[in-house]
Amino acid sequence: MNSLWWLALAVLLLPVWWHRQKRERTNAQPLATARFLPRADPQQQRVWRWTDRVLLLMRCLLLTALIALLADLTLPWRGDTVLVTPGTDAEWLERHVAETGFSGAARLTTADPLGWLAVHEREWKAGARLLVAGNVSMPAVRPQFCHKVELRTLASPLPKSEHRVAIVSKRTAQWRALFAALDGYVVTDTPDAKSELIIWDVPDAPPAGMRAPLWWVGDATAFPELRGAASAEGMRYADSARGRLWSAAPAADAGAARSMFETWQRLHYAPVPYLAPSQLLAASPGQAAPVAGALRDILMMVLAALFALERILAHASRR
Amino acid sequence: MLATPAQLAHTTDLNLVIRYVLAGLGHGIHAGRERGAGVEFSEYRAYAPGDEWRRVDWKLLARADRYFVREAERDSHVAVWLWLDASASMAEPSRSVAGLDKLQYARAVLACIAAIAQRQGDAFGLIVCGGGRVKFTPAARGPRQMQRILAQLSRTEAQGSLPPAETLRASLHFARSPSLVFAVSDYLDWPSAQSEALLRLRHMRHDVRALCLQTDAECDAGFADGSAWRDPEAGKGLFRFESQAYLKNRADHFAGMAADCRRSDIRTLDARIEQSLQTVLRAWLRQAGRA
Repeated sequence: MNSLWWLALAVLLLPVWWHRQKRERTNAQPLATARFLPRADPQQQRVWRWTDRVLLLMRCLLLTALIALLADLTLPWRGDTVLVTPGTDAEWLERHVAETGFSGAARLTTADPLGWLAVHEREWKAGARLLVAGNVSMPAVRPQFCHKVELRTLASPLPKSEHRVAIVSKRTAQWRALFAALDGYVVTDTPDAKSELIIWDVPDAPPAGMRAPLWWVGDATAFPELRGAASAEGMRYADSARGRLWSAAPAADAGAARSMFETWQRLHYAPVPYLAPSQLLAASPGQAAPVAGALRDILMMVLAALFALERILAHASRR
Repeated sequence: MLATPAQLAHTTDLNLVIRYVLAGLGHGIHAGRERGAGVEFSEYRAYAPGDEWRRVDWKLLARADRYFVREAERDSHVAVWLWLDASASMAEPSRSVAGLDKLQYARAVLACIAAIAQRQGDAFGLIVCGGGRVKFTPAARGPRQMQRILAQLSRTEAQGSLPPAETLRASLHFARSPSLVFAVSDYLDWPSAQSEALLRLRHMRHDVRALCLQTDAECDAGFADGSAWRDPEAGKGLFRFESQAYLKNRADHFAGMAADCRRSDIRTLDARIEQSLQTVLRAWLRQAGRA
């Protein structure tokens, strides 16, 4: 659809037409006795001549730049390329690059190689091959590209994370028991700004300005929002200025504790993406390349510069 | 001496031209009626620049310490009318003498005629046809009139076309007494409003003398065949030079004109502007003197 804009190049005929002047025959001088001569056709030499050539050039370039911008001009210039996710094991990468024959290829590092490739695919030449390597998450649908894409994936170890839980309760031991078996949870008695979960099990109201994404409230007297709140599976929940509030009590058994923990994890943390399996994505030539806009910024700048030049020259030529 | 038209092309001072050209020409165009009967003294008049020194009354100068000129009653009854065609075609330059054109030549000729008329004591006036209008300077005598006429001649530029017939006809009221009309033109428009006016003047029993100015190149078809030209008066349109057709058309045109003039008894003289002014003037005056 975008390439249809190139048909608008016919507009370039307009400035050419405006700047064209048919040369008048000027070498006819007055002669008093011309009336004794046979009349001749007024001869105009069929020579095309242009006035203000620089201005004409500017106008043509301006229109061309505008049409190129509308047509979303992209010049394919990338050859064989390896797209790597950051943090990929170098040794593993070299082995796979050598295996697939991409030794001399350029390398690009990007966090979401398949998404980035889908946007920028028009930058690759027609016969280019691509290798996508590293920790690539699996998209919802099988991706389709105009180029042949080799996908080699390696799950990278999850980064070590630390979650802070603050417990303000008289039943601290019971609450702590919930996190005792878990790795990566730091349980403290004093809430701070980094706390992701505050367990509040005392009748006193928490200090003003204390915020956390989630509060587990053991004693609802301090949180009037929870009194008339909706409930699900016996648990009341509400949104407050401090964060989300759940009514909770220390788990009576392991099953209740697991269910509570899983609910928390499911609702408050994004799932870890699934690793895409290594595979070869064959080229699907009919695939329409999406809008790239790779040269948009450059073209906009060129357009602005040309416009300024054109105005200046037009003004100067009128003088 | 302004022996050649090339020298004429270099001066715009008509006084100078007159002095040189008339040096050997004498005074008379025609035999004045009062000639020989003695010049009757009429009155004194204050000296004006341009008066001849010999007409200054020296005795009176000694008495009054002022210059006075003796005005004599020797006015002829013949008024001289100078008719100048100043249409655009009169700007036709000489193709061999740089800087000379028909209008300049016509100006010089008419200035000389005016000077002769003034010396003779005739009244003289000027009619300039050009730019679609008629510029009319009434006839009078004396050196001031001379200066007026010379200034008018110097101001004239070749432009536009001849005035329309009705304008000319309305302008012809000037000639009541018998007069002498010296008409200088290229007569490329014939018949035209101008020719009509001249024929009419002739029928009113004025003596009309026509001087037809031409150039060497015009007469000899001295232009390259196929070259393109345009008419200075007709506006747009191109004309291609073909010497055969040109010579034939031109000869037909001037033959028709000559026939018309002969029929109306208008004397014509063809002159090329490359000819010496004195020769042409002498030939024209001789023709006139015989009348």
